[in-house]
Amino acid sequence: MIVGSQKPLDEIWEMAKGFKKVLVFGCNTCVAICHAGGDKEAQTLASLLRTRAVQEGLDMTVDSMAVQRHCEPEYFEPVMDKVRKYDMVLSTACGVGVNFLSGRIGNVHVYPGINTSFYGAVEAPGVFTELCAGCGDCILHMTGGICPVARCSKTLMNGPCGGTDKGKCEIGKEVDCAWYLIVERMKALGTLEQLAEVRPPRNWSPGTAGGPRRLTIEHLMDMEESEE
Amino acid sequence: MSEVEAEEKNNEVCVPEKTHFPPCRDACPVNTDIQSYVWLIGEGRYEEALDVIRSVNPIASACSLICHHPCEQQCRRCDVDQPVSIRPLKRFALEQATEYRRKKRRAVPKTRDKSIAVIGSGPSGLTAANDLADLGYGVTIYEKNPDLGGMLSSAIPTYRLSREALKEDIDDVLSKGVESVTDCNIGHDITLEELKEKHDAVLIAVGLAESRSLPIPGVEGPGVLLAIPFLFNAAYNKPTGMGKNVLVIGGGNVAVDVARTALRLGADKVEMVCLESEEEMPAWDWEVEEADDEGVKVHHRWGPKAVRRDGDSVKGLDVVKVTSVFDENGRFSPSFDEENKQLMEADTIIITIGQMSNYDFLKGSNVERDERGLIKWDRETQMSTERGIFVSGEVVTGPGSAIAAAASGHRSARAIHLYLEGQDIAQGLHAVEKARIDKLPQDVAEKVHRVSRNETELLDPKTRCREFVQIEIGYDELTALKEARRCRSCGGGAIVDQNKCMACLTCLRVCPYDAPVVTNVSYISPDRCQACGLCAPECPGRAISMFGYDINSIRREMPSTVGKAEPSRKDPVVVAFMCSRYALDKTVSIPANIRKVQVHCASRIDILDILKAFESGADGISVVMCDSEGCRHPGVAGIVAKRLKQAQGLIGPLGIGSEAISYIRAAEGQDWGKSLTESASKVSVRNK
Repeated sequence: MIVGSQKPLDEIWEMAKGFKKVLVFGCNTCVAICHAGGDKEAQTLASLLRTRAVQEGLDMTVDSMAVQRHCEPEYFEPVMDKVRKYDMVLSTACGVGVNFLSGRIGNVHVYPGINTSFYGAVEAPGVFTELCAGCGDCILHMTGGICPVARCSKTLMNGPCGGTDKGKCEIGKEVDCAWYLIVERMKALGTLEQLAEVRPPRNWSPGTAGGPRRLTIEHLMDMEESEE
Repeated sequence: MSEVEAEEKNNEVCVPEKTHFPPCRDACPVNTDIQSYVWLIGEGRYEEALDVIRSVNPIASACSLICHHPCEQQCRRCDVDQPVSIRPLKRFALEQATEYRRKKRRAVPKTRDKSIAVIGSGPSGLTAANDLADLGYGVTIYEKNPDLGGMLSSAIPTYRLSREALKEDIDDVLSKGVESVTDCNIGHDITLEELKEKHDAVLIAVGLAESRSLPIPGVEGPGVLLAIPFLFNAAYNKPTGMGKNVLVIGGGNVAVDVARTALRLGADKVEMVCLESEEEMPAWDWEVEEADDEGVKVHHRWGPKAVRRDGDSVKGLDVVKVTSVFDENGRFSPSFDEENKQLMEADTIIITIGQMSNYDFLKGSNVERDERGLIKWDRETQMSTERGIFVSGEVVTGPGSAIAAAASGHRSARAIHLYLEGQDIAQGLHAVEKARIDKLPQDVAEKVHRVSRNETELLDPKTRCREFVQIEIGYDELTALKEARRCRSCGGGAIVDQNKCMACLTCLRVCPYDAPVVTNVSYISPDRCQACGLCAPECPGRAISMFGYDINSIRREMPSTVGKAEPSRKDPVVVAFMCSRYALDKTVSIPANIRKVQVHCASRIDILDILKAFESGADGISVVMCDSEGCRHPGVAGIVAKRLKQAQGLIGPLGIGSEAISYIRAAEGQDWGKSLTESASKVSVRNK
């Protein structure tokens, strides 16, 4: 899932303080699971902004609401009439949601309330870890299920760098060296020799290097028309 | 749409309907929402508790004193230690809210032009009259005794049921505009057919108001009395014809009432004799124990054979040993050892072996009786064989409890309403079965703190047995609150709005009882949930609410709780979220700058509640929660402390120091008021 965390209040305040009517608009899927931007967090942020407005002596309305997802129009369109009555919408959805809403709301400012961080898993309650970079060309079958693109600090494709130290990365003692993990895992699986195979250079174009990506699934498109 | 509609939505009243009956409610013949009223008592909300009780039980005060409380027998707390003492809690709530109850009384407008005659004013008749009046019908009760109440006023001894308490029930019903005709003997003063002419429907709720006698030699004549007339005379201070040495035949609850009444009327010696062994005896254990404490001896497994007389005077009762009471199929079929016999000496014998009805009033009507002489009736419609004449209570169901008779009254009232509306009665009475809560799982039971039941005190048996005063001493407030907090709130816990749940697992991780089951969405098992409320404030999708508790209420009321914070104030305004146990403690006083917010358990305090306090102008907040010994739920303090730390992090960027948020672990007998005042004094007054 997509993991994010709320922006510092001061930064949000700088975005919001110039507006009279602000809606904190939560998204109840990925960012709710990481307690960054669901209904509860939207309400929390709205309350903090209202308190700040009183402190600053500003006449400002800050409300909140949330829908299931910001990344599909069916979820937010039913409330768009309400949303459009605000001067500014502070979306606590991930960047996808902020973008998507911006393109559909008309002339209303849509600002991000959270920093969208990564695709991650819940390693333990309250601990979210980045495990995928969305590179568009998955090689996990060759690396023991451990992704060097997302988990190696340098995104190295051919083994660890000189910064590896007893299984940890040189950038921090709490960061595992992805290549150390790969080697240990493949040893355990008995597939270590696969790493010796020579592979062609990686094609980075399915990732962000190839420009904005779009996916079309023909059989899901234009469903209504295809009935005939 | 107004600009603030989105915010109002977040603050809207959110109290979902309960989905399951806990065993206590299921066991109650009128399905009283026991969990709700016990919870309300624990919150000090006695008037609301009364409303919950009265909403289904028109004989609430009587039940608060005499009910055999099947709810307690089924209480899931039995699997932990002892059941919650529900009946005395009911009594406490009703007594606390008496003034409120009286003020609430008012006539129900008669919105329908039809009227109903109710014959008999016992639990069943009163209940039916109550319900029919509520529906807007004209109702007249016809009662053969001088007072309303049936057996409750004419037979139940006052040491168990004070007539003042019973009057509250009756006054409630009469205040609705129900009319009553007392000293009215149907068949003599007015016939059943005349009643039918006069009214649109008739309800026969005459109960079992006559005692059965025994066909044994010597039974006729002075010195042998029947239970119901005896109790009636005692209730109305009339001569009973009782001597000094009394033997009561029978082993039921009425027999115990008779024996204890005889003691109070001045008998020197009162004994009981019954067919059954101690275990088989149908009277409730506690009644027998209380009688025993008062000096009533019970002779078990002896059967009456003849009343021995010397001339007119009774000398005693010839009895033979009982070898068995029931046959192999469990049917009542006593057998005797005729060789083993004795004389039990007594100058008075009171026969208390069962009750029946007098059916003389049916003469001239089309109400038929079966081969056993009982009224023929249709259980599907509550109707007798004569259209428009309905039946309810013990006259048709046979002997039972007062509350079961009341339940029957409810059903008949509903049947009459359907009949008068021209609807299908059987279909209208068909009840949809409610889902029930199962046994308390053992692993959950093990996590529940053991807290001994607060038994009610009784007057000293030596003195109480000589006077007709209520022997049970009701709870004082502190004890009632303690006892109410023993309830595990079965069925009053958390529920997930499946449209909002994103299956994030937070509830599952925070629940001390492993109640949530998360598949596509979360489902909180009512079998396991103990209603702590830890989960609801943690839910990131705000998908969890609590039965009977509005999770938005604290926030909604916060501006008025905080009130106006004067800019020139010297003392900081501090909102103290207090566990009910402490919020209701009248022995501790706290200064006026500390604004009290009562919470069921600290577990229910939401970050949003805390932020709302600051938003509303408070300078700080403090939480008063139980120490680990006192808390009803495991792990609450740790989670709440984390929540408060998170809140400290959130208010930091507002320039509010972390000292503005604090908590106190309180314990009974400890001066937590002082600790609270101290921590409040550390809070700085905010500039604006």
